[in-house]
Amino acid sequence: MLQPIGEPAFRQYLCRYCGYVYDEAVGDPDSGIAAGTRYADLPEEWICPQCGATKEGLDLIS
Amino acid sequence: MTIEVKLANIIADPGAYGALKPVDDAFTELRRDNPFDIAEPDGYDPFWVACKHADILTIERQADLFHNGDRSNNLLAKDAIRMARAFSGGESNIFRMLVTVDGAEHRALRAVTFPAFTAKALQGVADDVRKIAREFVELMLNIGPECDFARDIAFLYPLRVVMQILGVPREDQPHILKLTQQLFSNSDPDLNRSGTDVTPAQAMAAINAVMQDLEAYFGVVTQKLRAQPAENINSLIANARIDGEYLTHRQLMGYYILVATAGHDTTSNTTAAALWALAERPEVLAQIKADPAQMNGFVEESIRWATPVKTFMRSATADTELRGRKIAKGDWILLSYHSANRDEDVFANPFDFDITRKPNKQIAFGSGPHVCLGQHLARMEMRILWEELLPRLKSLELAGEPKWTKSVFVVGPKTVPVRYAVN
Repeated sequence: MLQPIGEPAFRQYLCRYCGYVYDEAVGDPDSGIAAGTRYADLPEEWICPQCGATKEGLDLIS
Repeated sequence: MTIEVKLANIIADPGAYGALKPVDDAFTELRRDNPFDIAEPDGYDPFWVACKHADILTIERQADLFHNGDRSNNLLAKDAIRMARAFSGGESNIFRMLVTVDGAEHRALRAVTFPAFTAKALQGVADDVRKIAREFVELMLNIGPECDFARDIAFLYPLRVVMQILGVPREDQPHILKLTQQLFSNSDPDLNRSGTDVTPAQAMAAINAVMQDLEAYFGVVTQKLRAQPAENINSLIANARIDGEYLTHRQLMGYYILVATAGHDTTSNTTAAALWALAERPEVLAQIKADPAQMNGFVEESIRWATPVKTFMRSATADTELRGRKIAKGDWILLSYHSANRDEDVFANPFDFDITRKPNKQIAFGSGPHVCLGQHLARMEMRILWEELLPRLKSLELAGEPKWTKSVFVVGPKTVPVRYAVN
């Protein structure tokens, strides 16, 4: 997804349990998360689609 | 340039893992001098040895480029590979399971039980796990002041937890434990089927015999659970469908066998190794008792310390390159998790047991799409056991010599004699 003008850059978060990368620009379409969804806006019930870690298991990498 | 045969033979020698120091010395030398090169131990096809933490992450996170199932995913001698192919009807691996398939098949199989192993889903079984942990803590305290922690507690507690989640009746659990040990410790005369030292070919024949026993057991399980589905993992497996069809016989049996054996053996090994480490370090026990917030650090460092899965194999699906070395399509690659978890570039003083590492970047569960399905359960089981046990212990020390199993695959302490006093 293109970066909206005037908004903070999209960020990437790494799951510390499995290496999955949540890219805000891409979202997590298989889990119903649209491209452009900020990590902070992920629903609390969202889990890492690769290993099942909770949202808190991801760390900001870029 | 290749790895000298002496070092290559250590990498493939089950006995070296039983002694451990030869393995630690060999990999320390390789990480320093020759971090990605080809080994060709006597009797084995040549393979690359990945011993650096970063390289294993690179390989595991490119699961389309480095496959699990195109060649043997375990380090096996040539004759054992031939036998595996014969026993499996021509496939590269004797079992068809999550760790030996790739791509769409892997994704579909993993999806069958994934929802039950997420961190959130497991919160629903935490009370049951704690109840089981308390039973084992009481058992240990009652049989004190000495026990063999490996045999009396660590082999049995994760078994009971996993069997309950799977839906295996308690009376069948000793049978599953025995078959698991025969499967994973097939090179160790103390635990294998024949009770003697065996050649790689004899070990493979024994694995096939264990597989037949497990298939006989789980064949009956499938019939029962298809007739009457239940709320457990085995029922999910029995009734799973991919593209509208039940799993094939080999997928079905491989799945049962994976969760019923790998689901507890690695946690048992780590639990036993953790208490061994504590028995040698009273200051760490005191540290945790004084500050229970250190518990997660203790669990994570125990996992790094034990690294129960020592190796897995991958093969390249295309020509590629790593560390400036050209890997050809089809090349076989050994991933040494044991070495990665002692990589000096990632872990300060890697041969120290340090529960304060933060972050602890251990990769004992692997990484990428094939990361261990049961990692969150394993962590929870260990944390709960230690929460129940450690506050009760006044003192703990070794009462004999612990011993590691002899295997290049799954390794843990087979005996941990300890003496303890209770608060």
